[in-house]
Amino acid sequence: MAMKLALVYAGILLLGLVLLIVGALIEPARPQISQNGESLIALGLAFILIGVGFFLAYANPTA
Amino acid sequence: MEGEHGNSDVKFLIGHNAGRSAIIAAFIATHVATMAGLWFDGARLPKFDFNTLNGYLVLGLNYGLANPAINFVVGGIIHYTSGIIWGVVFALIVHPAIGRVIKPLAALTPVNNYIKGVLWGIVLWIISSALWMPLLIDPLFGGGVVGPFLTKFGPYGVQALFTNLLWHSIYGINLGLLFSPTPAGGSRTWRSTSGVGVR
Repeated sequence: MAMKLALVYAGILLLGLVLLIVGALIEPARPQISQNGESLIALGLAFILIGVGFFLAYANPTA
Repeated sequence: MEGEHGNSDVKFLIGHNAGRSAIIAAFIATHVATMAGLWFDGARLPKFDFNTLNGYLVLGLNYGLANPAINFVVGGIIHYTSGIIWGVVFALIVHPAIGRVIKPLAALTPVNNYIKGVLWGIVLWIISSALWMPLLIDPLFGGGVVGPFLTKFGPYGVQALFTNLLWHSIYGINLGLLFSPTPAGGSRTWRSTSGVGVR
């Protein structure tokens, strides 16, 4: 069960990384902005942080 | 409340009771999210300056634009107070309620506490995007600046909505990690494991 949970957390983290990379690639140089690029960057960072938070909670020694 | 957040059978990561733990955790969560929002521009995202927006709300747009420093400080006090109050509401009302309604989240474990914090962040994101931004901030600028459910924010489109999700996720993540009541009778404690304590 713990292994499955860890895989889910890793999946969230990986999804965030993929979204962030795709967003960064399609984002044009300043001062232009891309709605899709910035949306993917924001979603990617959100998923990465949520994934990292899962690992931090999972590894909390009070568990 | 008793049995879940009572002081005798539950220990907290910060403080000795739910109220104090909530206030400190919510302050830290608000500060981390607020600072991140000010740095969003560096990650090619819309800058989220809730201090300034709150200042415009209470002082008026004209006064705020003419006195940006005062506007930032007054708005910041209101914004941080709001963040702490939302955190206390979460800790004392929503956190135990989620445990009663969603049975898999009933156990007081760090992961469950974290999931509750993330859920609370999403709830606040919906409130902010659906109500606060379009109904309060948009009229300040004469209308047409903020779209429905934050699908538009000045020159930005739907990325403002997702950036707002990122902001509130940061708040919820920190709140869920820091406000973490766990059973006091556990064999391992944060203090004994790390050797230090947070009072």
